[in-house]
Amino acid sequence: MRHPVLKHMRVRDYLRSLVTHELAVGDAIPSERLLCERFGVSRMTVRQAVDALVVDGLLERVQGRGTFVAPTKMDLEVRLSSFGEEMRRRGMEPSSRVLVAEEVPASPEIADVLELLPGELVFYLDRVRYADGETMAVEQTWLPSRLAPGLFEGGAPDSIYGELRRRGLDPDWGEDTVSATEVDAQDAELLGVPTGRAVLRLTRRTFAGEIACTYSRSSYRADRYVLWVPLRAPRRVLTPREDAERMSDDGAQTETPRVGDEGRAMKTSGSGHS
Amino acid sequence: MKDQAANVLAALGGVANIIEIEPCTTGLRSEVRDPSLVDVPALRAAGAHGVMISGHVVQVVVGPSVDTLATDLEELM
Repeated sequence: MRHPVLKHMRVRDYLRSLVTHELAVGDAIPSERLLCERFGVSRMTVRQAVDALVVDGLLERVQGRGTFVAPTKMDLEVRLSSFGEEMRRRGMEPSSRVLVAEEVPASPEIADVLELLPGELVFYLDRVRYADGETMAVEQTWLPSRLAPGLFEGGAPDSIYGELRRRGLDPDWGEDTVSATEVDAQDAELLGVPTGRAVLRLTRRTFAGEIACTYSRSSYRADRYVLWVPLRAPRRVLTPREDAERMSDDGAQTETPRVGDEGRAMKTSGSGHS
Repeated sequence: MKDQAANVLAALGGVANIIEIEPCTTGLRSEVRDPSLVDVPALRAAGAHGVMISGHVVQVVVGPSVDTLATDLEELM
């Protein structure tokens, strides 16, 4: 049983090094027959090796045409910059197709996240986002009308952040939630991918100081993006001081060990961070 | 600012209800003994831009001012 495993891994490693060192994005990999001959293995073994690299995202199969080196995915660092800024930073030309640009009363949900009263007017923008002409994401954005009166006069703006900055509002913090889902039929058509493909769903709120500026929901093509998240150890936790006092003169007292004990355990582990 | 810390602490059910509070990038992640003592409207009134409660964990979104808030909270705890 050892041999087939080793053979499959040899083929896989060979292909991996081809992709890394010799082939370019979009190049075809050697045919199954060629790989079978070269390694003296069965088609099954070759397919197993190729499958693994398809799953890894290094290769992609195109129905009826063959297997090719997949486009490299972009690392999407969740940070507060606009789609256009992110694409330009990568040397790509951003563009958008505007599907909807209108001023509407805020639904209760939108009002809540933008800290408005339901029915207050918001600008709503629904766009398909491209980089170098390739679909990247679909994005719906809402922002309070009173922050940017006349935003849509003369058509939908290229950059919402740009328009806000022009009006003295510079979004400087925010929050994202990210989830993975299968793309629905409507977004699939807009993104030009088959229904059911994986997408990254991002919802984002941005603030300029204490003012909620924008709320957006986007679906990013999972075949074009990986999410990159910088990490940092948690900061020292704060615990009630009286807890510490209780702990020091605790001794063998008959305090019922309930939630309080959990609290002390947390404290001990927490203070280790500092 | 000090007021904000006091209001946040009160809305979380007071010091006695706090197991721990962890200052994060844009908010506080706090663990409380009794989540039913947490007053969400009062947290919003104290300047929170969002409150998420999951079990005993209460996340309070406040923005970058979290640093000052955490310092003030530490004094009050």
